[in-house]
Amino acid sequence: MTTFTVSPPPHRRSKISIKTLMWGRVAALVPISLAAIYFFGFAALGNIAASILGAVIIEFAIEKAFKYELTILDGNAVYIGLLLALICPPTLPAWMIFLAAMFAVGIGKHAFGGIGSYVFHPALAAWVFLSLSWAQDMLPGTTPITSSFSDMMLETGAGFLGEVSPILVLLTGVALIAMKLVEWRIPVTYFLTTVILATLLGDPLSYVITGTFLLGVLFFATETVTTPVTKNGRIIYGILCGVLTVLYGYFSGNYVWGTLYALLLSNAIAPYIEVNTLPKPVGGVAHE
Amino acid sequence: MSAIKLDKLPEKVILPLKQHDGIACAPLVKKGEEVVIGQKIGDCEGSDLAYVHSPYCGTVESVVEMPNPSGKRVLSVIINPLECADSVDFVPEKDASPSRLLEIIKEAGIVEYYQKPTYLALKPGERIDTLIMNATFPLIANAYLDSLDKVLEGFRLMLEAGGISRGAIVIRADDKESIKAFKNAKVDGKPLIVAPIIGKRHADYYFEDSEDEIIVLAGGKITYTPTMMNLLSGDVMGRKIPLGYKPADVHVAVCGVKSAKAVYDAVYEGKPYLENVITVSGAVNRPGSVLVKFGTPIKDVVEACGGYKGEPGKVIINGTRVGVAIYSDESPVAKDTTGIVVQTKDEVLRDVSSACIHCARCVDICPMNLLPGRIAVMADQGMYEKCGEYYALSCIECGDCAAVCPAKKHLVQLIRFSKLQLLEMCAETEPAEVTE
Repeated sequence: MTTFTVSPPPHRRSKISIKTLMWGRVAALVPISLAAIYFFGFAALGNIAASILGAVIIEFAIEKAFKYELTILDGNAVYIGLLLALICPPTLPAWMIFLAAMFAVGIGKHAFGGIGSYVFHPALAAWVFLSLSWAQDMLPGTTPITSSFSDMMLETGAGFLGEVSPILVLLTGVALIAMKLVEWRIPVTYFLTTVILATLLGDPLSYVITGTFLLGVLFFATETVTTPVTKNGRIIYGILCGVLTVLYGYFSGNYVWGTLYALLLSNAIAPYIEVNTLPKPVGGVAHE
Repeated sequence: MSAIKLDKLPEKVILPLKQHDGIACAPLVKKGEEVVIGQKIGDCEGSDLAYVHSPYCGTVESVVEMPNPSGKRVLSVIINPLECADSVDFVPEKDASPSRLLEIIKEAGIVEYYQKPTYLALKPGERIDTLIMNATFPLIANAYLDSLDKVLEGFRLMLEAGGISRGAIVIRADDKESIKAFKNAKVDGKPLIVAPIIGKRHADYYFEDSEDEIIVLAGGKITYTPTMMNLLSGDVMGRKIPLGYKPADVHVAVCGVKSAKAVYDAVYEGKPYLENVITVSGAVNRPGSVLVKFGTPIKDVVEACGGYKGEPGKVIINGTRVGVAIYSDESPVAKDTTGIVVQTKDEVLRDVSSACIHCARCVDICPMNLLPGRIAVMADQGMYEKCGEYYALSCIECGDCAAVCPAKKHLVQLIRFSKLQLLEMCAETEPAEVTE
């Protein structure tokens, strides 16, 4: 007699896993990283390597020390490391970004409870850590302006690694949305809110739509852990990100920092948005 | 496409005395007794009952507890079938009154696809104005197209029995074969109206314009499973059912294709509910729909479909989303069985669940507009009141959330558990309120 497996339903699942989501995002960042290396040379390569290495090493150390299951292969640490490198200037010494990556994964991610539990995006937290600790080194040499199409292709005024080619970030990010690896609500509302508000306030869009802003829209804002899960909540979150970005950008004139600080603040408010946008079930509730 | 028929007698037939979600019957036969086709072998008393009849003739081997397709062990009558066609006298009753019709339906032991006896579904006590026939299982609907006139007549009889004025048959918009067949079908000499459900044009819209008793509606690409009553009523009638209410509360009754055919057989041929069509899919050599007599072991059904393809790893009753994986293919087909899915050893999932990353895929897919991931987390931590605040009781357990979860969490089980706890808590608090 043949034996049959008995297990709870569902008996067929979609193939998608956390691994595919994370490595998909890493793959989407590879083109912009290559462009940065082409543009900035070995400094960029060194920073990216140091950042990823720092993130992976601290993840390994923490999981070994606390006898957790090793989760390096799920790609989350690599993703955080890579993303951090892309929002730092190439002139930053490699040991600093190495330390910051350790801060990102060690404090930003694991101190809060590991994957799925952090309140602030670890790479953003590490960026703030770097900005507060070594403010001088974090100042970009130039401010990007994307006034013509060639600036979108290759931005010569790029201050951060991720700003060298806005169009690459845009294309890969939109590809992620098209492949349904990233949900559309937040990026669309965030982008539209920022563009509309900035236009209304009279800020030229060439200052607004930079590589960092696009990274923020397509990669930081869509970090699922730090966003509300409700449908309406995600739309509100996107609008909030946009409003905060323009607020900071309009009054300080720096939309790059505006993007990153707006995202950090929105992260903090995300749980509040979520509990206030709980959906009602189909058909409604009779009693109460 | 007509259904495959079993040409071989099974070695033994297992007839569970409880084949729906209600009261179990008491056996009327003893070991060694001879039974004939159509003989009543299970009797019961109460309000939620379905008598059991023998679809085979043969000798009763024993009356013991046997595996049931639901995974539990149920008291069953085991019959050694013989090659004979002896049956009880089937008495057709053509011009029965509505109350007599209901009596016939009750006597025949007809059960709906959602586990409710048909006589109760038709006359639940509340006023019913529309009877919906759920024909959105394409394979099963197609298998009955050969005898469509009988199904329609059975449906008409059900309307008469329940005293219901209107009947809406729901088919899938992409089920071309059924749409074609229904367009050619006639009721009372008049062709049927086949209309699409678009936006707010629900059944009422079409009923207003026509004097027909029965219309056919092609509604979307959803197969409405037994738990999806709320959505069925909402999509077809535009009447959503609030949490804690039944379809009858919004004046809707639901029946299946199988029970309509069974009602026809019961009234016009005097036959009790003995057989129906189930679908066999997955790793078998000739997948399709099979006309099976109740009590036939799944083993024999699979054999009629050309046997297992490769090494079978899992046999699932009633669908891959919420179906039960059974441990033995000796389990019989019962009245509540709609389909068998066979998976090979390689197809058997061995995922390990990990931490939730709040990707909200479950939220986006949930047909009931819930937050499955959040409810599951709170169920896991024992915060059942909180689950209630997140409307865990509205969950229809369709399994969509668990199927798309990238963290492979057991969302359905966790939510189901919280629902059980919530219902238990309700049961505990209610008497206390009375004494206050």
